[in-house]
Amino acid sequence: MRAPDDSPKARIGDVLLSVEEVSLAFGGVKAISGVSFDIRQGEIRAIIGPNGAGKTSMLNVINGFYHPQQGRITFKGQTRSRMRPYEAATGGIARTFQNVALFRGMSALDNIMAGRTLKMNVNFFWQLFRHGPAVREEVEHRRFVEEIIDFLKIQDIRRTPVGRLPYGLQKRVELGRALAMQPELLLLDEPMAGMNLEEKEDMSRFILDVNEYYGTTIALIEHDMGVVMDLSDRVVVLDHGEKIADGTPDEVKRNQAVIDAYLGVAH
Amino acid sequence: MANNAARADTFPKLLVRNAVEFAARPAMRHKDLGIWQSWSWSETLDIVRAYAVGLSRLGLKRGDTVAIVGSNRPKLYWSILAAQTLGAVPVPVYADAVADELAFVLKHADVRFAAVEDQEQVDKIQSVLERLPNLEWMFYDEPRGLRDYDHARLRSMDDVIADGRKALAADATLGAWLDSEIAATKGSDPSIILYTSGTTGTSKGVVLSGERSIAAATDTVNFDHLDENDVALAYLPLAWVGDHYLNFAQGMVAGFCTACPENAETAMADLREIGPTFYFAPPRTLEALLTRVMIRMEDASPLKRRIFHYFIGVARQYGERILNGQSVPLKGRILYGLGNLLVYGPLKNVLGFSRVRTAYTAGEAIGPDLFAFYRSIGLNLKQLYGQTEAFLYVTCQPDGAIYSDTVGPAAPHVDIKIADNGEVLFKSPGMFTGYFRDDDKTAEVMTPDGYVKTGDAGFFDDKTGQLKIIDRAKDVGKLKDGTLFAPKYIENKLKFFPNIREVVAYGDGRDFVTVMLNIDLTAVGSWAERNNVAYASYQELAGHPLVYDMLEKNVAEVNRSLAQDKMMAGAQVKRFLVLHKELDADDGELTRTQKVRRGFVAERYAPLITALYDGSSEADISTQVTFEDGRKGVISARVKIRDMKVEPVAAAMEKAA
Amino acid sequence: MNILYAIFIDPFVQMGTAPDLLVQTLWDGLVAGVLYALIALGFVLIFKASGVFNFAQGIMVVFAALTLVGLHEKGVPAYIALAITVAVMFGLAVGVERLMLRPLVNQPDIILFMATFGLTYFLIGLGELVFGGNPKVMIATELGLPKGTIDVNMFGGFVSLQKIDIAATVIASVMVATLAVFFQKTRVGRALRAVADSHKAALSVGISLEQIWVIVWFAAGVVALATGIMWGARSEVSFALQIIALKALPVLILGGFTSIPGAIVGGLIIGIGEKLGEFYWGPLLGSGIESWLAYFIALLFLLYRPQGLFGEKIIERI
Repeated sequence: MRAPDDSPKARIGDVLLSVEEVSLAFGGVKAISGVSFDIRQGEIRAIIGPNGAGKTSMLNVINGFYHPQQGRITFKGQTRSRMRPYEAATGGIARTFQNVALFRGMSALDNIMAGRTLKMNVNFFWQLFRHGPAVREEVEHRRFVEEIIDFLKIQDIRRTPVGRLPYGLQKRVELGRALAMQPELLLLDEPMAGMNLEEKEDMSRFILDVNEYYGTTIALIEHDMGVVMDLSDRVVVLDHGEKIADGTPDEVKRNQAVIDAYLGVAH
Repeated sequence: MANNAARADTFPKLLVRNAVEFAARPAMRHKDLGIWQSWSWSETLDIVRAYAVGLSRLGLKRGDTVAIVGSNRPKLYWSILAAQTLGAVPVPVYADAVADELAFVLKHADVRFAAVEDQEQVDKIQSVLERLPNLEWMFYDEPRGLRDYDHARLRSMDDVIADGRKALAADATLGAWLDSEIAATKGSDPSIILYTSGTTGTSKGVVLSGERSIAAATDTVNFDHLDENDVALAYLPLAWVGDHYLNFAQGMVAGFCTACPENAETAMADLREIGPTFYFAPPRTLEALLTRVMIRMEDASPLKRRIFHYFIGVARQYGERILNGQSVPLKGRILYGLGNLLVYGPLKNVLGFSRVRTAYTAGEAIGPDLFAFYRSIGLNLKQLYGQTEAFLYVTCQPDGAIYSDTVGPAAPHVDIKIADNGEVLFKSPGMFTGYFRDDDKTAEVMTPDGYVKTGDAGFFDDKTGQLKIIDRAKDVGKLKDGTLFAPKYIENKLKFFPNIREVVAYGDGRDFVTVMLNIDLTAVGSWAERNNVAYASYQELAGHPLVYDMLEKNVAEVNRSLAQDKMMAGAQVKRFLVLHKELDADDGELTRTQKVRRGFVAERYAPLITALYDGSSEADISTQVTFEDGRKGVISARVKIRDMKVEPVAAAMEKAA
Repeated sequence: MNILYAIFIDPFVQMGTAPDLLVQTLWDGLVAGVLYALIALGFVLIFKASGVFNFAQGIMVVFAALTLVGLHEKGVPAYIALAITVAVMFGLAVGVERLMLRPLVNQPDIILFMATFGLTYFLIGLGELVFGGNPKVMIATELGLPKGTIDVNMFGGFVSLQKIDIAATVIASVMVATLAVFFQKTRVGRALRAVADSHKAALSVGISLEQIWVIVWFAAGVVALATGIMWGARSEVSFALQIIALKALPVLILGGFTSIPGAIVGGLIIGIGEKLGEFYWGPLLGSGIESWLAYFIALLFLLYRPQGLFGEKIIERI
């Protein structure tokens, strides 16, 4: 039973990241036009819209892979006109990809350990000789990673090269790697793509647990409306690179522009 | 080396002895967060004492029942010991029981306390809470997900143990009180209640006493020469009598180490890592292991395949004789030694059997080929036969007298009689004291002179002097023309084929015998892959005509084998079908120990059985199924039926087609 | 019949009758193989981490050797010259990363390959400009490398081992072992493997591609320097040295483009194979086997096992 006074909104805090008037174009093609929205600490923010709406491009801008021609990104109080991947990562932004970007030759365990890269501080030479602080640090990191493996229930594949895993498990490993970075903001690009009902339920559970247990803010791109309605606190709707709605799932569901562009008949 | 455990007549007293005699040796191991954690006997005693004190402070008293729900975890085993320390009675329940089953047991046993593994079990119990007004406390091992739960009646085991430790440290007399509680535990009192899975009817609670359990375990520990250096992997359900006997009881008596795997999926890998010296697996598991090996072999390079098959042939020729200690020509020994280096050794290593000195299998008949295979590669596999009411062992095979089609002579100090109707009766040192709160059923199952009716039909084989089990006594029936119909006998013969996972045979009171088959998805799936047969679901594969062809050949072979025996020739299979879905314990079609519930299945699939006997070539069936998360759904299919040729027999018992 | 005899029997008879010659040939092959392996190693390092086939690896060998010798000629003591050369190679790595790799980061691999062509000619030009085009002598003794030969009595004859060759083998082995440990055990090594596997994933995990590239090109530069010293000590330091880089190609094909052990094994096989082939089968097929045997072996591998002995067979679920 939930403790009686656990109100869902209690955990949502101030604005963690905001994008203002961001525009992105490739050659002549405008991917994003003047989009602004914010993400609050502790919430689950969904970014939805038809294909080609600019959702992945938006994540790439937040993450630093793409540099917008116009606009600003403010993360943890610091405003930049362009983010760089290294800054995003060190700042606490972790990312999963639509097509799963894992280190295919490595095992699931090694992949998730790679996520700890930024947290590894010990000097190069200690590592070379596997002595003292290096060993201690490695044990700490391994422990952390094992907790994640336990959390995601992937103990039985920890030594399997990820290239051999089915898609659903690969996505879980990728989520594990992102979690290993101990991110403040987790960007998930279609985490449920290609999954069957049972896998989707598992993944939804994991996403909710990550948000509740670790307190991570989550921004996710998702097509499955059921998932979006269940999981997210607020929703941003993009269409042809522009923002057409922004609000709670219920508000967005009833928004006429959204229905016309994306949802079709109101659910 | 005979064991002196019998001086202690309850498990808590045994624990105290172990903490002294084997203090630093590992008692329990558990793979957690990727590494093997270990607890010695003295550490175990400390934890159990603290746990018991903590429990008593929450109100647990002598004679109370405590439910234990979960898979093999150290804290759950310690919960059993802690309860026993206070003279309370643990009542284990299967971890994968659905809420209804759980509610039944907890209510019947009238539990006030429940020790559970994780959030899943807590949720299950909470969903039926209104049926359990007497349940006061729930303790959990794994805290994940339970942080926000209302803890008025919920506590983590760690907290209970910590509380007990503090109390013990603060109050010196508590320790002495605990010692006196332990001393006050009586061997004749109930030490545990194991609910049987009930192939027929509802579950009954088998009550076992400490002194009997320890006596029986001592006998078998001596029989198999187990001692404190042995290691066993506890991967079969904690609530099953086998686990309580083989791992818990024997472990306590001999002082060996019980290892708990990380979870069900990693169990095979953990087996390899731990390298147990004592191993038990039901025939099903052994078959699955072999199938996996064979499948991998099919994918290996031609050279490796040739080497493998050649040396397996060598093993078949000499292996068992070497294992039995019989004489073998020198050439044979050399070849076998080479084979051990190249094939058997690595094979056993991969399966985790390298250090196994004694392995048992039981629960159902095992295919002679399968049995011989494992023995031939050097695994000392033996059979035992028993039931929960006997606290497992009724018969077991001694080293040197091992046959695939018998279950062994009587176990040490066990007395076996065969009733007139062929039913096997026994009296054993470990036998139960009765069914919990069910004297009627207890009386039903005992004979006037104190023997327990097993419900199985069997006889002692003249050649070997060992017991042979034919079938459940009440299942042995007759066809309309009087031919003996032992369904298990036919089913087992069919199940020996790797492609067939489960079989249900019908024929009692009918004109002829028919069977319903389940394919083995691993084996048939692999065949499909190699032969480019496409399928989108289990149902599609099960209904595929090529699959039917394959199985028809298997059935034909069984018919031929039945035709050899005058008694059985008339019971050949006339028609068969392949079920569109696997028989599943969650749907009530199998028991939790994977035995078929014949009556229930007959009801559920009545339309198919009607079709089998009215000559139809196909039939429609809709069955309700329960998914793993408890939701219900419906699966429908049109199932095809095939006719079989019946082999002729010399005697005039031929049936017209 | 005679031909068959000559191909399949005679050479082995010769091997058998003069085992000391066989050992000598094997030794020479080993030495050559080790040096091929070193060159291939440089290629593998860069290819593994940045996906670029570095056409300039050969010239880097020459350039490194030239720098070393040139500095010494100008009066710099041997070990200081060595240190400065190492620093120069580091500077080269930084320069390459900043001016060549960074601007071209998202371009197709072929563009980067062409860029290494450019780098080659740049280094040739720079080298000629600064140090002149004349062949020079390697400062082997000044660096403390042993001179002379050891003659070992064996099998009734004797085998002549050049001390410099022994030193080369030892140094190469140490270098390889260090690199292997580096790749496997350290954080930087892990990051290198990550970058080699997937740029996108590496970026998102916070690995700095620029840093990794500098490290890798520097490592390749140090390997090039070692190779240059060894080869230069056996012959002389001139621009002709870069031809041996071409020999690295069969080695890479044999061993796999992304495998360090592959580079070593491939190098040894080619080196020993060439020498044996030349010595025992050479007279039969007209001499000059050495120049084409390696490529012939490479061709066979391309036909039957294109990923090489140790290269990664890409396992993918379809």
